[in-house]
Order: sequence, then structure tokens, then C-alpha cells
Amino acid sequence: MINFIQFTLTRALLACLTLFLVSLIVFSLMEFVPSNCAERYLAFKNTQGSNITVEDIAAEEKKLGLDRPFAVRFSSWISNIVLKGEFGQSCILRMDINELLSGRFMLSLLICITALLFSYAIAIPVGIISATTKYKSLDNALKFISYLGIALPNFLVALCIMLFMTIYYGDTMTGLFSEEFENVPWSSDRVKDFLSRAWLPIFVLGWNATAFALQTVRALMLDESDKLYVMAARARGISGMSLLLRYPAKHSLGPVINSLGFDLNRIFSALPIVALILILTESGALLIEALARSNDQQLAGAIIFLLTATIVFVNFVTDIILAIIDPRIRKGVMGGG
Amino acid sequence: MSHLLEVKNLDVKFDTDEGRIIAVENISLSLDQGKVLGIVGESGSGKSVTAKSIMQLNPGNTFYNNNAEIILDNENVLKFTSKEDLKKIRGGKVSMIFQEPMASFAPAIKIGAQMVEQLLIHKKNMNKKEAKSLSINMLNRVGIADAEKRFNQYAFELSGGMRQRAMIAMALSTMPKLLLADEPTTALDVTIQAQVINLIKDIIQEYQMGVIFITHDLGVIAQIADDVAVMYLGSVVEKGPVNKILKNPKHPYTKGLLEALPDVNNLDAPLSPIPGNIPSPLDRPTGCVFRTRCPHHNPEGKDGKIEMKLVEVEQGHWVDQCGIKCGQNE
Repeated sequence: MINFIQFTLTRALLACLTLFLVSLIVFSLMEFVPSNCAERYLAFKNTQGSNITVEDIAAEEKKLGLDRPFAVRFSSWISNIVLKGEFGQSCILRMDINELLSGRFMLSLLICITALLFSYAIAIPVGIISATTKYKSLDNALKFISYLGIALPNFLVALCIMLFMTIYYGDTMTGLFSEEFENVPWSSDRVKDFLSRAWLPIFVLGWNATAFALQTVRALMLDESDKLYVMAARARGISGMSLLLRYPAKHSLGPVINSLGFDLNRIFSALPIVALILILTESGALLIEALARSNDQQLAGAIIFLLTATIVFVNFVTDIILAIIDPRIRKGVMGGG
Repeated sequence: MSHLLEVKNLDVKFDTDEGRIIAVENISLSLDQGKVLGIVGESGSGKSVTAKSIMQLNPGNTFYNNNAEIILDNENVLKFTSKEDLKKIRGGKVSMIFQEPMASFAPAIKIGAQMVEQLLIHKKNMNKKEAKSLSINMLNRVGIADAEKRFNQYAFELSGGMRQRAMIAMALSTMPKLLLADEPTTALDVTIQAQVINLIKDIIQEYQMGVIFITHDLGVIAQIADDVAVMYLGSVVEKGPVNKILKNPKHPYTKGLLEALPDVNNLDAPLSPIPGNIPSPLDRPTGCVFRTRCPHHNPEGKDGKIEMKLVEVEQGHWVDQCGIKCGQNE
């Protein structure tokens, strides 16, 4: 038990350290982009017709505190996030980022996590069956489908489905809400509307992840099933499902859980492109907007920070789960600890 | 009196992508209660495959010949298909211990849990608590100190010798009539090896079971076995009481195995390895399997003019007739 607490604390500390480094990188990247927030904002205003002078820029810099040294600005940025949960103001939109992201980030998270759960809920049982099946043709069919999933890019799948939906249903199924629910508070009807549309991005994101997870589960199962301890268990009279689940499946679980954080990362990365195509209004779309169109580094930094924080957190949780199910990790024999 | 185990005319073939491989050909063996039959041979000689056939543990691409019989306790276990029947030969009447005790325990399940699981499968009227106390008793019996603590540990927390003791305890806990020991001492260092061999000997005395002891080590065979069968490329080339075979080997392969051991009284004497290599199982010689490595030319075996057949050279001592010819023809 003491081992376990020690392990958890070490991992938590490492997670915090990772998060700190990530935030430093994110903040530095924001810094490396030519011109600062004041200049960008005023340049933006310039396009709107105002006349801008050098004095205006200096005044704006002072107002935003951009004249302070890097270390001071970084520490105030990070301490605001950690202590108050505030990301400050968007550079171009001049809106509170918290307000801008409230709901949207949760929506992204919801879509991604659902896609992840959906892919594992399919991949684990199907992967186990695929690895143990005596029917070669079923196994081959599954292999074919999952190769297809790996080979086809998400946006192509999204486009195909949109095309199909437009031809047969007259609705592109884009967006996360129908028009009438776009800007109203949450209600049961809005939830229904959301669900009737959210399945598409979830499916598109999950499809690819399922294919990968399926291959992972299948390969792990085949690997474990060949091991001597499985034969030894058969030699003791254990058979059928209890053999399958307690022996190869249980021992394949570790690496599968380990791949969760990695897969969430991949889904997050795919989200902005899918959001762009499906015209979603969650934070993935906002990230593309902030990064590529308006060059709003404050906003982009906040979103990237939130995404990485989520991944670091998921990795921390999977590490703990791994330690719970695998005594070798918990007792620090094979790495970790 | 009928034998505890009788293997008759067993062929084992594997279907692989490269073709059908003959792993075992026309083997007949017998074993009585309380006796140890040693099976000796190099890797790939079919020792393990023979043992696994008794428990039907060979992989899905395995084929047995129709007239083969493995009679255990008056039942042909090769014909077993139902779950209940298979349970009898897997952990019920037959238990097996493997070469790698580390690899044969599931790494993430406690040793005690694996023992209890097996007992609950085979002992219908045993509850969990009884299974636990029996398991701890067995761990004690095989000389594991602190058995209660070990019961709650994982295989990686035990030493090599202790793991093999635990494996033996698990194998014995269901009181099998037949114990298959597949190179149980090979992975252990010599002092532990001696302890484990003594333990197995004690256990045979105590439980009066039959044991098939597979090894490539003739020294181990000399210590433990009553009878021995020497296998080469899937065939038994010589079998009989251990003292007769070790003192008076007739087959050139058996002789070769013995000559390849260092002589303690004359350590400077050169070892004489068996000439040639084992042919690939895909390229198994027809007729006499050993003919490609016969120290003296054996023209008669070449085209299958002389068939492999065990002949009795003295009471209970059987030798493949090819082997006798092989030694004679210059």
C-alpha cells in the first residue's frame, strides 16, 4: 500500500512537471510568433479603419503588461491559470477567453472522449474475438475493415458521409446543433438535437481510432495467447471464456490502457480538421480560427494548454489504473515506480 | 496388471505452411504406477509433443493417426472431446510442469489464486476456504517456507527454485495419477536442480503416481528414472530399464549421447560428439531416421529396405533394428 501511494505521488509529481514544461513551451511559442499582441490587435483595428501610431502601440503594450520581462509575464500567465483558472483575454476578439471557451471546450472533450470510449468499446471485444476466432474469413474481414480505417483519413470519411447524407436526406448533417438550437440554453430538446448531430463527428473521429485500437488489441491477444502460462492454464483444466478473459485478455489489458492517452492525443489532433469540415462550433474549430486565421496566440495558447493538460491527466490516470491491475508495475519490478 | 499409461502406435503430425511435418512417428510406451519413465532426446525430437498429446495440448493444426491409442486408466484419452473428459486429463488425472516456472505462472495473478482456481475446477465439493488451506499445505509440503505469505505473492516475487517448487505444489494439489515433467530442472542451477529432483523422488514415493520425466540430460535420467526411452526425430530408437541402457547402449545415437558427456575420471579425453546435424523435420529421412548420421555407412536403410522396428536385445531392452545394423556395417 505504501508502495502504491509512493507510486501515485511520484506520478502526480511527474504529471505536474510535464504540465509545467508544456506550458512553458506553449507560452514560448506564443512569444516566438513575430509581433506581439498589442501590435496584432492594433493592426487588426487598422484594417477596420482606425489610424494607429507608435505611441498607440506603446500605450497598448503598457496596458496589456507586455513591457514586462518574459519571466514575469510567464509566471503571471501560469499562476493565473493554476490559481484562478483564468486564461486572460483573447488578443483579437478582446473577450474573456474563459467565457469564450466555456462550454465549447467541454463539448470538444465530450466528443473526443465519447469517440475514444466508442472505439475501445468496439475494439476490445472485436479484437479478442478476431484473435481467437477459428474462422479465418471473419478474421480476414475484420482485418480488412480495420486496415481501411487506418488508411482512410478522417476528413475523407467525413466528406463521404456528408455527400451521402446530402444526397439521401437533403441535410449535410454538419454543425453540432440545428439552427433553432444553435444559441439557446441547454434543454432536453437541445440535448436530443445535439445527440442527433454529434454522432457524426464522434463516428468520424472514432472510426480511425477504432481501427488502430483493434489492431493493438488483436496483436496483443495473439502475443499473449502464445505464451507458456496460457498453455499451463489449459493444462490445469481451465477452458473457454474463463481461460480467455482471465489469462490472455487480462494480461493484454495493460498495454491497451497504456494506449488510451496516446489515442486521445490522436483524436484531439484530428478534431480541428474534422471540425472545419463538419462546421462544428466547439474549441477545435476555434483553435483553427485562432491559429490560422486571426493569429490570436492568447486564445490558441489557452486551447493548446487545455488539450495537453487533459492528455497529461489521462496519462496520469491510466498509469494509476495500470499499477492497480498489474502488480509488476505496482511493485516496481518492470520499470516505473 | 494393466499399465497406468500405455501409448500405442502414436503418430503426431503438424500441418504448417511449409507442409505436413511429422513430429512423432509410431511411438509405443508404457508406464506403471509409482514409476518414472525418462524420455531423452535433443530439442525437436518429439519428447514434449508426445507428452502434450496425453493432455491434448498440441496446437490446432495437429493430427493424430486413427489407430493411435493413449490408454490412461483404461480409457483412450486421445478420443476425448467433451469438456468434462478433457478436464480429467488436464489437471485432473494428469498434471504437467514445464521448463520455465517463471513463464508458466500467469504473471499478474497471485500464485495462490491460480492454485485455488484449479482446485475449484477439479474438486466439485471443495469450497474456497478448503482450497486455500490445501494449497498452503501443498506449498509447505514442497518445502516452501512461509507458505501463507507465498500464497499471496506473484511468480516474479519468488526465486527460480521456489517457483518450480510452487509449480510442483500446484501440479500435485489435485492428486493426479500421472505427472508430466517437461524439463523441470533445465532452467535451474545445479544445486537447486538436485533439490528439485529429490523433491520429485520423494513425492513419487509418497503419492505413488506415474511420472514421465522429459530431459536432454542423461545425468538427470540416471538419478531419477526407472525406464528410459531415447527419442530421435520423432521416433523411439531405444528403450528399456535405465541401468541396462546406460550401461549397455545398443543404438549409435544413445552411445553418442553417452560419449558426448565428459568423463570425470579422464577429463582430458576428447568428447566425441555425434557426427552431423539433426535434419530439419521438413526433410525427415525416410526409412531409418538416423541413417544420415550413422557413423558407419548403412546402405540398407537408404531406400527403406530395412524398416525401423524395435527388437528386444535382452529382457526389456528394445533397440531399433536400423541402429543395430548401423553399428555393424562398415
